[in-house]
Amino acid sequence: MVTLDVRPQLLDTLSALRDRVAAARFPLPLAGAPRARANRDELLAQLDDYLVPRLRHPEAPLLAVVGGSTGAGKSTLVNSLVGRRVSEAGVLRPTTRTPVLVCHPEDHHWFSGMRVLPSLTRVWDPDRDPAEEFPPTDDEHARVLRVETADTLPRGLALLDAPDVDSLIADNRALAAELICAADIWIMVTTAARYADAVPWHLLRTAKEYDASLVTVLDRVPHQVVSEVSRQYGALLTKAGLGDVPRFTVPELPESAWGAGLLPATAVAPLKSWLVHHAQDPAARQHIMARTAYGLLDSLKSRMPELAGAAAAQYAAALRLTSAVDSAYDSEHARVRSRLQSGAVLAGDALKRWRAFPLDCTAAELLDALVESLAALLLCAVTAANERVDDAWRREPAARAPELVPRNTSLESAEHRIGLAARRWRRELEEYAEDEVRVLERTGAPDPEVVAALVATAVLGGRRARTAGEGLAERLGAHGVLRLRDRAGRLLAEHVDRVMHAERERRLAPLDALDVHPEPQAELIAALSVLQKER
Amino acid sequence: MTAVTDQDHTEHTDHMRRTDSGSGDTGSLEHVGRAGTGALDGTDRAGGLGHASPSLVKEGPADDRSGTGGRHEGRGDDATDGGSGGGHEEGRGGHRAGREEGGGRDGAGREEGGGRDGAGVLHARVPDGSIEGGPDTGRERPARVRDEKNADLGQGQGTDPEYSRDTEPEPERDRGRSTERDHGRDTDRDRDRDGHAVQDRDRHAVQDRDRHDAQDHDRHGEAGGDGEDGDRGRSARGRGGEQGVSVPRPHPHPARSPKPRPASGATPPKPTTATGAATPAPATDGEAGGPQEAWDDGLIARRVTGAASAALAAERASAGEQPHRGPGAQVPVPLAYDGPLRSRLNALRELVGLSRTRLDSQTLAEAGRVLDEAAARRKLSGRHTVVALAGATGSGKSQLFNSLAGVAISETGVRRPTTAAPIACSWSDGAASLIDRLGIPGRLRRRPMHSPDNEGQLRGLVLIDLPDHDSAAVQHREQVDRILKLVDAVIWVVDPEKYADAMLHERYLRPMAGHAEVMFIVLNQVDRLPGDAADQVLDDLRRLLDEDGIALGEHGEPGATVLALSALTGEGVGELRETLGQFVAERGAAARRVAADLDAAAAGLRPVYATRRRAGLTEEAREEFAARLADAVGATAAGEAAERAWLRNANRACGTPWLRLWRWYQGRGEATTGRHAVRAQADEEATARQRVEQAVRTVADRASAGLPAPWAQAVREAAVRGSQGLPEALDALSARAGLPPGRPPRPGWWPVAVLVQAAMTLLQIVGGGWLAGQIAGLMAPNLGVPVLLMVCGIVGGPLVEWGCRMAARGPARRYGQEAERRLREAAAGCGRARVLDPVAAELLRYREVREQYGRVARSRSGVV
Repeated sequence: MVTLDVRPQLLDTLSALRDRVAAARFPLPLAGAPRARANRDELLAQLDDYLVPRLRHPEAPLLAVVGGSTGAGKSTLVNSLVGRRVSEAGVLRPTTRTPVLVCHPEDHHWFSGMRVLPSLTRVWDPDRDPAEEFPPTDDEHARVLRVETADTLPRGLALLDAPDVDSLIADNRALAAELICAADIWIMVTTAARYADAVPWHLLRTAKEYDASLVTVLDRVPHQVVSEVSRQYGALLTKAGLGDVPRFTVPELPESAWGAGLLPATAVAPLKSWLVHHAQDPAARQHIMARTAYGLLDSLKSRMPELAGAAAAQYAAALRLTSAVDSAYDSEHARVRSRLQSGAVLAGDALKRWRAFPLDCTAAELLDALVESLAALLLCAVTAANERVDDAWRREPAARAPELVPRNTSLESAEHRIGLAARRWRRELEEYAEDEVRVLERTGAPDPEVVAALVATAVLGGRRARTAGEGLAERLGAHGVLRLRDRAGRLLAEHVDRVMHAERERRLAPLDALDVHPEPQAELIAALSVLQKER
Repeated sequence: MTAVTDQDHTEHTDHMRRTDSGSGDTGSLEHVGRAGTGALDGTDRAGGLGHASPSLVKEGPADDRSGTGGRHEGRGDDATDGGSGGGHEEGRGGHRAGREEGGGRDGAGREEGGGRDGAGVLHARVPDGSIEGGPDTGRERPARVRDEKNADLGQGQGTDPEYSRDTEPEPERDRGRSTERDHGRDTDRDRDRDGHAVQDRDRHAVQDRDRHDAQDHDRHGEAGGDGEDGDRGRSARGRGGEQGVSVPRPHPHPARSPKPRPASGATPPKPTTATGAATPAPATDGEAGGPQEAWDDGLIARRVTGAASAALAAERASAGEQPHRGPGAQVPVPLAYDGPLRSRLNALRELVGLSRTRLDSQTLAEAGRVLDEAAARRKLSGRHTVVALAGATGSGKSQLFNSLAGVAISETGVRRPTTAAPIACSWSDGAASLIDRLGIPGRLRRRPMHSPDNEGQLRGLVLIDLPDHDSAAVQHREQVDRILKLVDAVIWVVDPEKYADAMLHERYLRPMAGHAEVMFIVLNQVDRLPGDAADQVLDDLRRLLDEDGIALGEHGEPGATVLALSALTGEGVGELRETLGQFVAERGAAARRVAADLDAAAAGLRPVYATRRRAGLTEEAREEFAARLADAVGATAAGEAAERAWLRNANRACGTPWLRLWRWYQGRGEATTGRHAVRAQADEEATARQRVEQAVRTVADRASAGLPAPWAQAVREAAVRGSQGLPEALDALSARAGLPPGRPPRPGWWPVAVLVQAAMTLLQIVGGGWLAGQIAGLMAPNLGVPVLLMVCGIVGGPLVEWGCRMAARGPARRYGQEAERRLREAAAGCGRARVLDPVAAELLRYREVREQYGRVARSRSGVV
């Protein structure tokens, strides 16, 4: 039999693993993401609330959590085990909204601190008159754990009355799951009317999966049918592979009903003696603790890869989104280049201006028209790329993350940014033209603006701007023209690249901000394998 | 021999036990045919088809009286089967599959074998196949029949099961006496219990000779059989004995035998038979209160419900229903929806039709389902209201079901989950097709206990007991989900333990909040709550329901009815019965259910139809689109160029010749840049593609802004489709609509200006010549005139030129604007035809659909 002692290395490895788990994020709304998040939270809760504290302090009292459906009589059971009313019971459902932990007064220090269940604030009122009503919880949203002490409980055993696992209040359900995760002993309470319900069975299966120390209580069984119901329940348990689970039957008694009072001690005696035995007999206690703890450690073997798988899926989805953006922008970029090549900028207004140049159109007007046309081409490309991205993302569930929904203002600002870039290109082109003209250093040198307009036309106009090249050659000489066109062409390519790149980055920025990386997957697996070695 | 006989009996019993099914019918038909009582065919078939439900309590007698002997025959068979009490015990062992056919063949064989016995035997046997009834009723039927037979004949030979039970030790000896006694007792019981039975009996006695015969024969056969069992050697029963013997022979067919026949082989002759016979009788007694009566007419009911016989339905209507309902209610009156609902349904149908091309089938699936169900429901009886009892496992659905029906129809127990398949119980006739729609097989259909109170109050109710929705058995949940969509109203049964279950509220009550009007929420098991706790729980339940969004029918408002009751003690059941009775009597549930479904479907479709704001193409968007297209074809630039060209030409035309000379000289050195070369290739891609694309995209975005996604997509697609070929069209258009290339037209005053300009030049020349002549001495010196002439010419030339330029400015601007306008309008027209019109059409289609949706959703959502 495995024993449980303090092992520093194991603890270190565990906390390293815990950090990895805590660092794992599943921001993209994939199909498995909510589950992965829940798994992560649950695993974290189990590590924080149970495994680490338990391994650190094997001598701490056993914590038995009483869980079950609403109306199963959990609170009544706890009250009866303790022998006085510690937890509120009643006919209205859900009754228990604040979990109650009951322990022996000398064990109180174990639970008053944040050793287990650090996310719950403690409420302890040792002077409370048992007869008076339970204090109402001030804040519905505060997660509170009420700690009660009772002499009637043996030392080394604490009972926790959890909210119902199938509560209408979602928070209650989550809290119940978390509390159950913190237990050394899971006490599952069900009733004659409920023993075939689906929800409690999920819990039982979970308990089996984690190999936790499990006890089931069949509560509120009308005594006429005790034997039949308990036989059938036993059969169901056996069928589910839980046949060896200790099973206790509590009959429905008038005083038990509906929160009025406590069950007679005889009704819960078997359960109580079982609990006491396991809390006080060292071997039994060791067995119980080790089983739950090692069951949990074993369950890591399958749960960590699951988390790692979810992390990998996240990364794959992010990669798909990114590649959708990339391919959209790449193809639009290619289209822009080919259209520049074919002189598509020299069309419409610009073409008309060019036809009128120089007789009916000035160089400045021609340049304006060209720059505008270039900006329109770029804007069109960017918009088309964004549209393609939207299309592709619409098919991706991961793109439904609220962070990835594009803002409305982006188009206007894109127009603005692209216009800026185009004008900057024009300014630089004019500088080049001036440089070139200055080089000529002769009188009657051509107007730099005309040269700039002609170069722009030649660069943007493709084949249809052949005559612009000829006109330039006349003005600057073949050599100068070649040099100027080369520089202008490079400048254009540079600016176009920059615009497309900047827009793509802008589009990807929210996705990058989500910070989905491939590393968590490897890290999770690595942490698990280190842990395996350490065990 | 004995063993064989027993076997035979077993088989018979089996048939009865077995739930009805098609093969059984055929079996019975065959028999009838062979027996020669062909007239019965129709009825028999109907009966076979019919469902084992113990239905048609009232109509039975009437029917019988109408003289379709077949039915009696059927009863006769019952008698036979019942009579062969020896087999009951064994038969009860189980329902055996594939039995009907075997039975049929059996019967046939028997007929042949017993041919000499006469028609009676045939009759007796024939029915076997058709008898199969519900498992539980099977037992009762024989008893009843037996009783009848006894009453009619008073024959001492038949070993009545009851009798045999009584006289178990020595059945043979006492037979005659005991039978008589038995018969008498039975008759009494029958009479007390069941008027129909009496009627039947009377009928039997008085009306129908043939039938009597048949029954006699039955009895004989049966008696023989029994006699055999009891006393193999009796010669008096020889006939029967023979018959009994003849029966077993066909049996051992392998086809028939797969069923376990527990007692058959090992039946010890006498005692077993006796016990066997005894057993059914107690059962009969025990359950006599309820299904027995029902069972009596079950056969008829089955025939009636059989879809095949319309004539029968009419007959039944006239015979059975008239007394109760008057001539108005003939055949099941189909459900009629009131005007608004009908028009909403039509609107939804049209809506679905209109949207099919735009929305994927998944989105429309729910609406389609609602339409289908509404149509299906409409065809079915409007006099009935189908109410389902739903709830968690262990909440007491079945118990409530039984307590409403007055009979233990549905199995109750502590085993969870108890009810695995839905059970239907119909309070009046004609609901078969309704139950068919729910997919509840005939063997799970029942009739409530026959009592005037029960009948009157809940007439028209079809109650369905559902399996649980929350147990680990997933198929139960599926069944519940399926049936909940089809029923007219739901009674949610909750108990104090489970009333706050998340599953119930989140999975069922919240989504069905719109169906509050056809919902009852019943807090069962209040007897388990002490004191005022019941009220507390009920209040809490009300609060939860309120949180679920379910309107509660308090203070006379429409909404769900919340009741507390205990099915166990009967507390509050009366109230439920009353409420339910009213509810059913209103006959509005089905329509309300459909209306609620419609509301839910409309709400589900809301995101794909409703808009946040007014959508459409604004004038602004249209103008912007036109402006962008004009940009794309370069209208502004073209206009400016034209204006300048006109001006230039005007200047050239009206300028001084010297200036023109100078310009010509200037222009000779500098090649005309671009102009000719560009014009040479003007036909290719004169329109800026990117601008067209952007314009289309912008206008599509504007038009689709605020539209639900599918329609926005449709608008965009329409725009993109229209924009294909738009640049080319614009290319062609700008070539066509633009000003003709070459020189701009010349206005009329140009020649005058040219003439004046020429005159000025002439003046200059004349003046100059004159001066030159004077210098040369050719002419008399006269400085004044020539200088004046020259000055005139020199000053006048530029003056005229300036004047012309001023005068040309207006026309030039007009010319340029004209050029721009032509391009602009042509481009706008092209864009309108190709893009805006399709987009507008798409928007119109949307608006139409939107209105249609408004009609569908009219009642509650208050859209638009």
